[in-house]
Amino acid sequence: MIDPFQTLGVEARFDLDPDDLARRHRDLSRALHPDRYAGAPAAERRLSLSRAIEVNDAFRVLKDPIRRAEALLRRAGVPVGETAEPKPSPDLLMEMMERREELGDARRRKDLAAVHALADAIRLREREVLASMGRQFAASDPDTTKLAAVLPELGELRYLRRFLDEASAIEEELSS
Amino acid sequence: MALLEIFDPKAAPRPIGIDLGTTNSLVARVRDGKPVVINDCNAVALVPSVVHYDPRGRVIVGVDAQRLAVDFPRETIVSVKRFMGRGADDPETRRLGPYEFVEPKTPEEAKSVRFKVRDRAVTPVEVSAEILRVLRSLAEDELRSVGGAVITVPAYFDDAQRQATKDAGKLAGLDVLRLLNEPTAAALAYGLEKQKNGLFAVYDLGGGTFDVTILLLDDGVFQVRSTGGDSALGGDDMDRALAERLLQELGVPAENRPRELVRLALDTARKIKHGLTENDRVEAEIEVPGGTRKLAVTRDEFEALIKPIVERTGVACRRALRDAGIAADELDGVILVGGSTRVPYVRQYVEKLFGKPPLCDLDPEEVVALGAAIQADILAGSKERADEVLLLDVLPLSLGLETMGGVVEKILPRNTTIPAGARQTFTTYADNQTGFDLHIVQGERELAVDCRSLARFVLKGIPPMPAGLARLEVTFRVDADGLLNVTAKELTTGVEQKVEVKPSYGLTDEEVEAMLMAALDHGEEDLEKRQLIEARVEAERVVLATKKALVADADLLEGDEERTRIDEALAGLEEAIRGSRAAIIRGRTEVLDDVTHGWAGRRMDRAIAKAIAGKDVAAIESTVAQARGVEAHLAEHAGQSAPEGDASGTGS
Repeated sequence: MIDPFQTLGVEARFDLDPDDLARRHRDLSRALHPDRYAGAPAAERRLSLSRAIEVNDAFRVLKDPIRRAEALLRRAGVPVGETAEPKPSPDLLMEMMERREELGDARRRKDLAAVHALADAIRLREREVLASMGRQFAASDPDTTKLAAVLPELGELRYLRRFLDEASAIEEELSS
Repeated sequence: MALLEIFDPKAAPRPIGIDLGTTNSLVARVRDGKPVVINDCNAVALVPSVVHYDPRGRVIVGVDAQRLAVDFPRETIVSVKRFMGRGADDPETRRLGPYEFVEPKTPEEAKSVRFKVRDRAVTPVEVSAEILRVLRSLAEDELRSVGGAVITVPAYFDDAQRQATKDAGKLAGLDVLRLLNEPTAAALAYGLEKQKNGLFAVYDLGGGTFDVTILLLDDGVFQVRSTGGDSALGGDDMDRALAERLLQELGVPAENRPRELVRLALDTARKIKHGLTENDRVEAEIEVPGGTRKLAVTRDEFEALIKPIVERTGVACRRALRDAGIAADELDGVILVGGSTRVPYVRQYVEKLFGKPPLCDLDPEEVVALGAAIQADILAGSKERADEVLLLDVLPLSLGLETMGGVVEKILPRNTTIPAGARQTFTTYADNQTGFDLHIVQGERELAVDCRSLARFVLKGIPPMPAGLARLEVTFRVDADGLLNVTAKELTTGVEQKVEVKPSYGLTDEEVEAMLMAALDHGEEDLEKRQLIEARVEAERVVLATKKALVADADLLEGDEERTRIDEALAGLEEAIRGSRAAIIRGRTEVLDDVTHGWAGRRMDRAIAKAIAGKDVAAIESTVAQARGVEAHLAEHAGQSAPEGDASGTGS
């Protein structure tokens, strides 16, 4: 596994500035993109393609808070992935089930406003979880053994994300 | 202008940009730093994308073919772009006009539609190549020698459609430098012209396809945020809707329509549509068995007919905005592309949808070719632009694999920046399973049957073991043209079995090569000559690039030994170039590639280091600028005026 932080040449931390990250991606693309090697020998063209793929992939990982958190944990040797992590709390499961039922109801009623409202509430919650994760990552900074404490929130984030994906699919369906 | 250029038999090859459109095609090039379209001898740039096959085996393209379309509807292919990369069983192919098709005999043949014209079977790739040949010769008339070409494709084209377009270019004898998405090309033409930064939407409604793209322009970097659209929606649909009304008015029953009459109705509909751009009411005459009939259509009637078609574009626009994570009012501008955006109702709809009047100061039918010419110029090594401009495009449709139960597992989601790659591991689901079926699909739907099937292959020779133990690693790579390449590896036994598959659309590389040979007058002999020229061009490019690098980055060579190896390989290649054997030139090019590989990696590392360091310098400068802003602010509050020079730098 290639370290995405290293590929983009940024510090390995959770609270990366998205604008800085985008700028770094653009600067690297300027140097590496296959367009810049269009006239180069075949070996260099291949190399530029592989490097550009790596840079794009690293950017994709670091842009996404879930995958960024996973990358940080993996670097510290904490196993990630839903099978490796602790099971989510019954409270969370219960709550998400209720929210999804509400979402399903709104979809059946074709109530776009209700879908928006549900999604907005979850988005707010997502922001809170992200902020809290940021604090936890910062607090565990040199002591990486504390990192596993982030796992429950990471799990929650995945549930929220799935909910939002579903909501946006319903929004698309109802507004078309 | 071309007449003023001094004839030079050894004129340097010049790059061109081609807009291969559904209705019209055109070619452009960069002259004195500015993109211009190339006209024919009648000062017309647009070549109708119409190809006629005459009884003597000749091929007629453009306006002349268009004239023949009414009398020879089956021998004249219009809107061939809509057939690109489509299979014979695709329902769309039957809907698209009065053609006869060759019934496929094998599943492989069924992957591509084949038109039956005068007892010949022609594929959409061959038809498109005829159009490209005409454009190439137009360009050659003006430039003497054509270098590489950039050909544009709708952003929404899938892998099969892109592959087919690239092959058409090859078949027309073009060195295809890059396939470029049309909206990106349009933005490039606009962005350079207007020197604007910000978020833009490109609304591209052509003859047969609709694309919408949201992109960010930031100091020369054109970054596509999202793209969407409909590869079967365009002005042709407006013509069809209107033609349908005309035929109803003429009392022609839907079940029994002579193909000639359908083509005539479509032609009349198109003329009426054009007329309604300037007029509120248009009259037309149509020849039917038994005499001439007069018909009249008002703009209101036309708008009511096309409303559902135009509204379909709104769905894709909203999705593109959502994918980009922005609201319509965050856009800085909307760029119109495609002949169909001349329709007033379309402009009104776009204005309402995005809440601002669209930009249309460049000709919507030329803007794509102009952008393609700029990109071709950059790729061919135009120094001043290459350092400024970079296009970062995205994958238009998700790529995935069919898994158990026919469900698609997405490997690369849509709107991933390209080039892109991803790796996924799979396992066997039955005991002692020795083969693994891989089905690669493209699209957004959950079930594989609803997506576009790109390729199927079987990875064989997995050693027998219990279910779930074998580990199969599948790697997807999408290059800068948006073309996919898949490799699969079996990991468990330590034995790496690699299968490489390029998705096909029904024509194999051999078939393309055979067609190319048939198209040349002396077949094999010409092909050899051509291969020699191609090998030499590539070799000369490599020699030049290597020599340049030896001057710039000699310090990155690891000792005299590496230098000696490179010098020897260089000398060997130069000697081969002077000879006349393509195979030797290619072999020695590879040798040079090999010995420079490690050094090339180090040079690329240096380029990266520079890119990052450049960034840091910029960051320091912006901090300094901010500090100066604070000083100015303080000065102002102290009752002094801020120095004027500071304010002017941030003006819009």
